[in-house]
Amino acid sequence: MQCLEFRRAAGADPKHLNAEAGAHRDACPKCAEFLRETLVLDERILAALSVPVPERAPAEVAPNVVAFPRIERRRWMALAASIAGGVMVGTLLWVSGPRASLAEDVVRHMAHEPGVMVEASVPEDAAKLERVLERGGIRLDPDAGLVSYAETCRFRGRNVPHLVVQTDAGPVTVMVLPRESVAAPVQFDEGGYSGTILPAGPGSIAVLGREPREVMDQVAERVAAAVEWTTG
Amino acid sequence: MNAPFSGKRGESAFAALCDELRPDLYRFAFWLARDRQVADDVVQEALLRAWRSRESLTDTTAAKPWLLTIVRREHARIYERKRFETVPVDDLVGSESPELAAAEEQETMDVRRAIFALEEDYREPLVLQVLLGYSTGEIAEQLGLTQGAVLTRLFRARQKLRRQLGLAGDGEEE
Repeated sequence: MQCLEFRRAAGADPKHLNAEAGAHRDACPKCAEFLRETLVLDERILAALSVPVPERAPAEVAPNVVAFPRIERRRWMALAASIAGGVMVGTLLWVSGPRASLAEDVVRHMAHEPGVMVEASVPEDAAKLERVLERGGIRLDPDAGLVSYAETCRFRGRNVPHLVVQTDAGPVTVMVLPRESVAAPVQFDEGGYSGTILPAGPGSIAVLGREPREVMDQVAERVAAAVEWTTG
Repeated sequence: MNAPFSGKRGESAFAALCDELRPDLYRFAFWLARDRQVADDVVQEALLRAWRSRESLTDTTAAKPWLLTIVRREHARIYERKRFETVPVDDLVGSESPELAAAEEQETMDVRRAIFALEEDYREPLVLQVLLGYSTGEIAEQLGLTQGAVLTRLFRARQKLRRQLGLAGDGEEE
C-alpha cells in the first residue's frame, strides 16, 4: 500500500483500518502520525457534534396538543407516563443491577480510541494538554514521560482525562478517575492489556499497557505517582 | 409475526426506547437542520410517526436506524414545507441558543463552525460515523449510496475540515 492510498483509507475511516493499512502504518512514521492526527481531529469533531440536548423538549412529552386530535393527546399522555415509568424502572435496574467492573469499562473505553496508544516522539500540543489536565483537576510531573495524546473523554457519564504517556516500557494509557474509588490496587489482564487501578486522590487512576504484568505494575506506580490532584 | 412493541407492555418498551435514543435523534436532527427549533420540531414529528407505526417494527435491534430514517424523512418534509432562507454560516452559529453559541471551548466552537459550513452531502455521513457510530456499510445503506461513495465523502469531509481549521496535511500530499 502506498502513502496516498493509506491516507485516503485513514481519512475516510480511521478507526477501521484493514490489515494492509495497519502494516503500512507500522512501517511509515509519517502515515502513523497522519493517523494519529486524524484520530485527534475525530475527537474534536465528536466534541463539536455533541451539542447540548434539551433536558426534555416539552413538545415531545406534551406536543402541541391543540394541533392533534384527542386520541393523539391521550396517546401522548400515555407515552409521557410510559417514558417516566421506563426511566424509573431503568434507574432502579441500574442502581440495583450488576455493573461491569471498572477494569472492564476502562478496557472497553480503549476500543473507542484505537491507534492512539502507539510509540510516538511527538508530544501532544502543550496548550491542549494543559486544558485537559486543568479540566481534570490534576497536574502531571513532566518526569512521567512524554505525553503523546491527551483528551477529555466521557467515561461512566463523566468527563475524565485520558492520556497516553511514552515510558521506557512503551506507551501506556492513563485514565484519571476522580469519582471511581477502589479500596486497594486492582490488577487486571483484559482484552490484551495489563493494567492496574490504583487508589489515588479522591478516586483512582487506571494505568494500562501492552507489556507483561510485572512490568506494568512498576510503570503504573511510577506514572500514578506523577499525578498531582489540584482539587479534592 | 413478532411485534415487540404491540400491547401495553410494548408501548412501555417503545417509550423507554425513544427516551434512550432521544439524544441521538435530537443531535442527528440538529446537524441536518442546523437549527435547534427545527430539530425540536423534527424529533417531535418523527416520534409521533414512529409511535403510530411502532407495531411494524419487528426487530428491536433495527430500532435506531429505523428511527433515524424517520427523522431524516421528517426533516426533508419540514424543510420542503418551510423552505428556509439561506443565511451565512457565521450568522447561523451566532444566532444559535446561548449554550451553543457560548463556547465551552473556543476550539470546539471553531470545529462546530467548520462543520456548519460543510455541505450536507459531507456533513451527514460524518455525523452518522463520528457521532452515531455507524459503519461505512451502514451509512451506505442509510443514504442509498455505494460504500465507495461513502468513503469518498468521509475522506473529503475530513479534508475540508482540516483545511478550514488550518491543519497541516490533508492526505493528498506525498
